[in-house]
Amino acid sequence: MTIRERRFSRDGLTPFQRFYLIFFALTVLSPLIPMIIASFAFRWFWPDLLPSEWWASARHTLTQPIGWDYVFSPYSRLFTAIRNTLVIGFSVTLLCLAISLPAARVLAREKFRAKGLVEFFLLTPLIVPEVAIGLGVLLIFIQLGLAGSFVGIVLAHLIPTVPYAIRVLTSVFQNLSTDYEEQAMVLGANPLKTFWHITLPMIFPGIMAGGLFVFLVSSNVFLLTFFVGRGQVETLPTLLFTKVSSGGVLDPVTAGITLITMLPGIILLLITERFIREEVFAKGFSG
Amino acid sequence: MELPKANPIKHLPQARRRWLGRFRIALMLAPAMAVLVVLYLGALVLAFLQSLGYAPLYQINTFPTLHYYQDLFSSTGFWQSVFYTFYYALIPTFVGLILSIYLALTLRKRFALKRLFQYVYKLPLMIPYLVGVSLTILLFSNGGIIARVLHLIGIIDNPVEFPRILYDHSGLGIMIVYIWKQVPFMTLIIYSVLLGLGPESEEAATTLGANPWQTFWYVTLPQIMPGIITGTAIVFAFNFGSFETPFILGGGFPNTLPVEAWRAFDDPEPARRLGAMAIVMVISVVSGGLLYLYIAWYRRFEKRRGRV
Repeated sequence: MTIRERRFSRDGLTPFQRFYLIFFALTVLSPLIPMIIASFAFRWFWPDLLPSEWWASARHTLTQPIGWDYVFSPYSRLFTAIRNTLVIGFSVTLLCLAISLPAARVLAREKFRAKGLVEFFLLTPLIVPEVAIGLGVLLIFIQLGLAGSFVGIVLAHLIPTVPYAIRVLTSVFQNLSTDYEEQAMVLGANPLKTFWHITLPMIFPGIMAGGLFVFLVSSNVFLLTFFVGRGQVETLPTLLFTKVSSGGVLDPVTAGITLITMLPGIILLLITERFIREEVFAKGFSG
Repeated sequence: MELPKANPIKHLPQARRRWLGRFRIALMLAPAMAVLVVLYLGALVLAFLQSLGYAPLYQINTFPTLHYYQDLFSSTGFWQSVFYTFYYALIPTFVGLILSIYLALTLRKRFALKRLFQYVYKLPLMIPYLVGVSLTILLFSNGGIIARVLHLIGIIDNPVEFPRILYDHSGLGIMIVYIWKQVPFMTLIIYSVLLGLGPESEEAATTLGANPWQTFWYVTLPQIMPGIITGTAIVFAFNFGSFETPFILGGGFPNTLPVEAWRAFDDPEPARRLGAMAIVMVISVVSGGLLYLYIAWYRRFEKRRGRV
């Protein structure tokens, strides 16, 4: 096959396309190598490409913890940040799913006059700048006494997650025929029983996928946590912010915390790739 | 024996049934809508009121006044801020879009390790912007990895010779983070539109004698426009309101509007805090207005082409 033909056909890449894919894979993966090296370094001076002294050999000669010892010591506040990230993430996920499920069911199955308006309103948090929402919500929470509290942060995280969850769950309900539910009702099940025994098991994979992504969004959000938390509630992103905006270039502790902050995303990517419903993203403003 | 009713409200008179149906819809939408209306619409309304001088919290009430907007619009720092905000938001959107279209088209092909690649390219999508910022500092700072590699191959002698990419008004570091993080996002959107299309219309164009470029320009591109519009709108709005990346990698005062809004809000002086709300309103109105025009323009474009 000539290159000209290959540009068209679905098999076979042109040399440039192969280069392009390799280039992308490298831009994603290759920065991780120096980051891992940096996390294990102790002395790493210009212009060395590798550290002259490593954490493993230096840690026994010093009295205070360095590198990974410091990261996992109480001084780094890492465990507090992980605990806060998990508590906030689980609360946001449960609350978000609980209020998004009924809304998605209605949007998928019912026709009503204000439907277009509701759907438009649900899109707007995607396009209103985060900083405006962050400062505005902070104003509300200062008045309500929720600034700097867990409850405030959980509520703030609902703003980016609820529209997303409703979008995903609406498409789950759209792909679900009402036949089984109607049969259960005909056989005498009440609406609650029908939901619990019939609907829920059928939409469970969709709920799982939606829930995992809600958790991921919550664990990755920085601005809302930082503004609403007023620096009093530390999560993984806010801890990394403190380190990155104050630390040196090759600081081992910053490198270690960077790697740990990536973990939720990597784990979710590995378990959810097959869940990601690409058509969920495909629905644009035009449809 | 009578069978139980399939729909528990079916036996009611029609008017009452319709009313109950509406009530049920409202009830099921209520929790989600309440959270969004109170928090997010409430946030914007409160910010708007404060920007007009209504702030009993700080014992200020000069409502209504345009004083804070006048102050803002008469400072040169503000207009520089506006310029940087647009500049750092638009360039990565365009550059990222072009990279994403080509990546999405390439992804349609069959190739070795394709499944693995589909994991790898999504990684930046899954991690916080701050990780991107941290990686960028490690690679592109003056004593960073790339400067060291350039030293190794003899291009530079000492860190000062490495071009300043971070902490600078050129914003290269900021834009690198945005592109790195957002190309996977736009690629995913465009790729999923492509998956829904199938190869038929492109094959027809080729059979009718179109060359690859013509096929792309007249057949593929118009069909992936919905994905392009959605992707660029979301990415632009995000960049326009993004805080942490320019805060860390930007070049000091004047920085982008979101950073200046935070700095003003963080000021102990109450009047500055009200000025922050004026900045927030400018960000929301400009970003919202531009996106409205963008989508309206796109709808008209589609109508003219007769697709809607």
